[in-house]
Amino acid sequence: MDIDDLLQELDDNKVPGGTRDINDLTQSWIAERAAPEILPFQTALLERLMERIRQQVLELLHLNFCPILLFVGGVRELISRGFLQVIQIELVETQTGNLDPKTNFCLILIQTELERVKFLVRSYLRARIHKIDKYSIHILTTPSIRGRLSPPELSYLKSHLGLLNSHFLASFLRRFPEQLRRLDDKAGGISMVEEPDLDSAVFCKVVKDIEDNIATIPGTDAEFRLTKGDVYVVRYSAVREFVLRGEVELI
Amino acid sequence: MNGGNHFASGPLTPAEVAFLCEAQSITIIPRQRLDGLDLIGGYIPPFHPPQRTTIPLWLALLLKRQRRCNIVPPPWLSAPNIERILKIETENQNLFCPDLPYRWLETAELLLEACPDDLGGDDGELRVLLRGLREVRQGKVREGLGKLEATYLQMNNLGLLEITEVRGFAKSVVDGLRKIGASREEARRNREEEEEEEGRYRGGTSLGMDDDDF
Repeated sequence: MDIDDLLQELDDNKVPGGTRDINDLTQSWIAERAAPEILPFQTALLERLMERIRQQVLELLHLNFCPILLFVGGVRELISRGFLQVIQIELVETQTGNLDPKTNFCLILIQTELERVKFLVRSYLRARIHKIDKYSIHILTTPSIRGRLSPPELSYLKSHLGLLNSHFLASFLRRFPEQLRRLDDKAGGISMVEEPDLDSAVFCKVVKDIEDNIATIPGTDAEFRLTKGDVYVVRYSAVREFVLRGEVELI
Repeated sequence: MNGGNHFASGPLTPAEVAFLCEAQSITIIPRQRLDGLDLIGGYIPPFHPPQRTTIPLWLALLLKRQRRCNIVPPPWLSAPNIERILKIETENQNLFCPDLPYRWLETAELLLEACPDDLGGDDGELRVLLRGLREVRQGKVREGLGKLEATYLQMNNLGLLEITEVRGFAKSVVDGLRKIGASREEARRNREEEEEEEGRYRGGTSLGMDDDDF
């Protein structure tokens, strides 16, 4: 470890929790978009951020005391119970006309940031849902991968799959012979279950010093050295372990 | 952020890259007082003009648009420095200059659009230099793409937006080449497995001989 690393570590510790959480979520989102397979859900991180979003919405309401909103059936109550979607930020916006310019401006800044964070959270969840839809049977039948889903994601997967199944069955599968009705058929050497292609190419960046830093590409002679700061285009399977350990970031 | 995210899957779009770029910090000179703000991404300390302070870029752009601050351009974004880097880039055909930050292109674009007046006089010259730099580097990237293989390619010191530009092409070439070579790889993998099996078998016989000796 040289002086740069020490300084880096010092910097990392100095960064306030909120900023670090946002940075972590940003990286998780980028990785989720780049990786062919679904990655472990960032449970603690998302919990912290959702709590902060909730607080910030309350703060907005507090700054912008608007009797109508509070009158309409204890909005605060609803928010604190987690019905975040109930609050239309636009509603708050329309009320800001009567405020003094200074508070008004603060409101705009808080709202802008809130929208940025919400965009991040949404994009992260959406990237995951896309993979959950695409590889549902594969995820459901592979315990190690299934464990990467959050409980709501898992229940979404199951109900979505159930709906699809009954829809297919109702619209055409029931007219098929019994043995052709399965959606996870593996007969004839061709599996119907779609799996992520772990060999597809990804762009990645080495972000930590790695001790055992020779990566090999399965099935070939190719070997390459992962040095901090390097950027590679390489098949995902070659760097997968390093990515899951956080030593290599997908970009 | 611009135009929303219609692509829930696949790598980042340029609009999303710009969104990420807006999260970096930048130094400003506020022109107005502002009380401290407690944001999700951290605390923004109060502004005391003309004391400099460091805030996220998106906030700086918002303040700039309302003429509430001046942006201090990052030290690398100056005509002499870009000229120096451009010279290094033109002289070394096989190298991307490491002196540029990861998000140089998108940051420069955003700042040139939002605050040309803060970029130290002649922003026209800076635009020309940046354009030149971009073209030299693009040329090298294209040359590098010729070396794409089914295995890996190193692309150090390339900015995120530059990667985004070539990502689609590079990815499909690497994937395509891999599929072409797939049968050869498959055969090799099988052979290796067979050899391993054989090794195990041989291990078994030597054990048998031990038994005989006994």
